[in-house]
Amino acid sequence: MTPEIFALCAFAAALELDTTYALQLTFSRGIIAAPLMALLTGDIVAGIQVGVFTELLFADISPLGGILPPSAVVCAAVSLALNALGIELYFAFFFGVVGAILFSLVERLMRKSRFKRLVFWEQQIIKNPNAVNRAVLLALVTSFLMNFILIFIFTWLCGSFMLWLLPHIPAQAHMACRFAYMTVPWIGLATLVPAFRLKTR
Amino acid sequence: MKLSMRFKIFLRSFFLQTGWNYMKYQNLGLTFVMLPFLKETYKDDRDALPSVLQRYLEIFNTQPVMASFCFGALAKQEEAVAHAESLTKFKEKVTEWSSIKKGLSITTASIGDRLFWGTLKPLTLLISLFALLMLGVNFFEPVLPASVPLVYALFAGGLAFCVFNAIALFVKWEGIKISYNADENSCFGLTRFDWNKTIYNAKRFGIVLAVGMLLFGVYHYLKDFENIDVHFVTRAAIVLFCVIVSFVTRKLRIPNMYLYLATVVVLNLVCYL
Repeated sequence: MTPEIFALCAFAAALELDTTYALQLTFSRGIIAAPLMALLTGDIVAGIQVGVFTELLFADISPLGGILPPSAVVCAAVSLALNALGIELYFAFFFGVVGAILFSLVERLMRKSRFKRLVFWEQQIIKNPNAVNRAVLLALVTSFLMNFILIFIFTWLCGSFMLWLLPHIPAQAHMACRFAYMTVPWIGLATLVPAFRLKTR
Repeated sequence: MKLSMRFKIFLRSFFLQTGWNYMKYQNLGLTFVMLPFLKETYKDDRDALPSVLQRYLEIFNTQPVMASFCFGALAKQEEAVAHAESLTKFKEKVTEWSSIKKGLSITTASIGDRLFWGTLKPLTLLISLFALLMLGVNFFEPVLPASVPLVYALFAGGLAFCVFNAIALFVKWEGIKISYNADENSCFGLTRFDWNKTIYNAKRFGIVLAVGMLLFGVYHYLKDFENIDVHFVTRAAIVLFCVIVSFVTRKLRIPNMYLYLATVVVLNLVCYL
């Protein structure tokens, strides 16, 4: 793990806060986050491609109500980090998508676990209204730390596994993953056409 | 409402979803956003604050951008609650406040989800993708050019960022003022904008862009191949198959990411066999 990867994970954890917990200024969108993260790894081309592919692949899931879409930031961060470690982008992206799905599952558990602390914080706020500021700050800090730990551990595990596996991967697997990677923008665009239909379901 | 107070609410509204939970959703966020206003309103009656905060800590959930309409309307109604002349009036106003909170949060969530997440987000993505293609970055190809100027990447992302946020921040900032000054006859200022027409026009524009983008992709695909060989046919067959399957999986409400993962597995099996 190089310092760049470490910084990338920290930056991704901060960007991930934009998805739900702070700002919602769309910094966490794939097309914005991935090129920004690519500044750390130095591969702008990979950043553009991963950003576009991530956005298109996740375009069919919106954060409506309690729906938790897979994290574009996690997908882009894992893909770019693995790519920076020397793993081909079509393999890295696969792990990025898996990471984004797993992250949303863990995030759901984290939100559920917040029930227990909620009653405590409500009591504190009623006693002292300024406690709400502390509650918000604490929620931000813990979310950032959890994001960082999850992204870092997943990247480290996948990176170690792939670096060990890479010399043993047959040419067929390279070809299959490259073809699957190539279909991503087409699948995404094919979904966007019905997404804009005027009659809602 | 004073400009400084509006600005405080506006700034704090960026943290509406901090502390989001499955029990009461944005209740902590709403309390955080409204706290400066409540302190100002009840500055002469600090003892009333705990019971006021209890109301704000009840369940609340809406779309974060459109939530500004709730803030303004709730602030206006809170003033009516604070200045109620009798206990009966006070109870009446509190009941009205609760109805506004519940009703307006549902209405704004519905509009916001359709406008911002359902229309504006994919629309700005398409605008950004068109910008990339115009700059000569053909993202349909698995192998991109060896180097792309940094400014291209930042321009495409920046375009999506600016278009989305210009609208979102305008609605966020103006929503507080409009809903504070409007009454319930105009649905707290929501009727000032023709949301349905805006969404309809944006979707019409979006569908033109999406179809145009698909055609652009097909054009780029055909342009790069001089002869129709095995490679051309294989790629075309895989892409076409995945696109057709994506229409089916959409009907079955299976997200695209699972389709991609399944494609990886299936293609690996096919390659081995």
